[in-house]
Amino acid sequence: MKNARKQNLSLLLFCTPALIVYILFKLYPALSGVFYSLTNWNGLKKTYDFVGLANFREILTDTYFWNAMGFTFRYVIVMVLVSNVIALTLAVAIESRRRVKGFYRTIFYMPNMISMVIGGYMWMFIFTKVLYYMADNWGWRFLDHSWIGNPRFSFLAIIIVAAWGAVGYLMIIYMAALQGVPANLKEAASIDGANAWQNFWKIVFPLIRHAITICLFWSLNAGFQVFDVIYTLTGGGPGRATQSVALNIYEEAFKGNIRYGYATAKSTVLFVIVLVVTAIQLKVTSRKEQEL
Amino acid sequence: MKKKRLLSDILVYTLLTAAACFTLFPLLMALMNSFKTNRELLTNVMSWPTGFSLDNYIRTLEKMHYGRSFWNTAILAALSVTMMILFSALAGWKLCRTKTRLSRFLLKLFIFSMLIPFSSIMIPLYRVTLALNIKNSLVGLSFVYAGLGVSMAIFLYHGFVKSIPMEMEEAAAIDGCGSLQTFFRIVLPMLKPITATICITNVLWVWNDFLLPLIIISDNKEYTLLLSTNTLFGQYSSDWTAILSALILAALPVIVFYAIFQKQILKGIADGAVKG
Repeated sequence: MKNARKQNLSLLLFCTPALIVYILFKLYPALSGVFYSLTNWNGLKKTYDFVGLANFREILTDTYFWNAMGFTFRYVIVMVLVSNVIALTLAVAIESRRRVKGFYRTIFYMPNMISMVIGGYMWMFIFTKVLYYMADNWGWRFLDHSWIGNPRFSFLAIIIVAAWGAVGYLMIIYMAALQGVPANLKEAASIDGANAWQNFWKIVFPLIRHAITICLFWSLNAGFQVFDVIYTLTGGGPGRATQSVALNIYEEAFKGNIRYGYATAKSTVLFVIVLVVTAIQLKVTSRKEQEL
Repeated sequence: MKKKRLLSDILVYTLLTAAACFTLFPLLMALMNSFKTNRELLTNVMSWPTGFSLDNYIRTLEKMHYGRSFWNTAILAALSVTMMILFSALAGWKLCRTKTRLSRFLLKLFIFSMLIPFSSIMIPLYRVTLALNIKNSLVGLSFVYAGLGVSMAIFLYHGFVKSIPMEMEEAAAIDGCGSLQTFFRIVLPMLKPITATICITNVLWVWNDFLLPLIIISDNKEYTLLLSTNTLFGQYSSDWTAILSALILAALPVIVFYAIFQKQILKGIADGAVKG
């Protein structure tokens, strides 16, 4: 008994530095956020009042917020599909070639190293200068759009840039999973007459399910929090047409309004939605994994 | 059979090369145009620069206070990651070696918050930095990063410690080493592989993070590279040669970092994903 107490004391001592920064900058903000979401705290007054669920009631009728939520959902769905399909395709293509593997892997992962702020501004140059040049001088009329100014195309622009930045990361995870598929299984299937397509879907795909779970989880999470790309590329515009939830919260709290209490209520709603969606995803994909 | 093989070769290489061109396209366009004069750039974005001049770069170095911003970012990353590693190695090791109810509770406490999105805590976090008077302080911000980063690092250390044998630590204890001494002399050196992974991933995270410094740092003397790039873009939004050279300069450190540590970076992702 005494031994256990001594062990615990030493444990606490070793955990103290981590606990202090963790509680101060993660746990306390997370918990107090729930409290602030029930207040009318803003950046102007020193004091704030408890207003109950008024903020949440206001959110229900806040069209800007729900438009941003709708945009975020559209973004997440398209982005998760596009980036995972491309990443898996590239991973399969690279893994099928021995000699050039390292070369292509290096290139495809490179955008992931660069902050999306820098990547976003580089693409801004492409969208506002280079594509027009191609349309005018090379006759590539299909590029002649207002990529940043027209909401339909700016959505596409955002997806292109975000996928450009994310694919490399997902690809590395898929490649690691593909390397874990035993070669003799694939050979056996080929001998039995399976073609490449069947081989992939019947043999390889079931064996890399765990990587798919991880990549879906990661891209869902990153998708719901999207900020940098949109901030640099369109700033949420034109108007609020490409405003994501994270951008909406940022704007509510730090630009103009400074309604911290209300913005915190919004971020609580975002948290709950992310939690529910990822929980469903993990449940579905891990059940699929177990079925094998 | 041979024909089929050739066809699939052509298909795969076309796909890979097209994707590689697409990936490099914005980087190369930015690089190429960053050497032009503004007039040259406006007449033709696709041409080679007529002369090789570093004028844009010299101009930008000064405008974005490159030296200062670089130094700020480097200090921030170094402090953040050092604390993250020290704090979580201490905690992760002890959490794994202690088998009590408290240790199980603490581990869960550290790990459960990994799902909370940053945008959900950023406003209360902003308030905490105001209350602690560390707004605009890079040192203060590094503590914040440590707080946000320890969960993942403790999780990784905890998993790694499980796989290393206890004999060395026990021998050290018998020889009269205290816990802290054992940690620094015996344990920390054995944790090197996972420390390298944690170090590299987190340096990159802090270096490339934008939203947190955007909220906490408003004094331009304390700006990180991304914040000064962002400001420059706002100020000179039509001066593309200045912006492009700034973007190249801002991307340069990570590209060099990538060239040096590529193997460890890619291995870190694959390992982290398999274990996570």
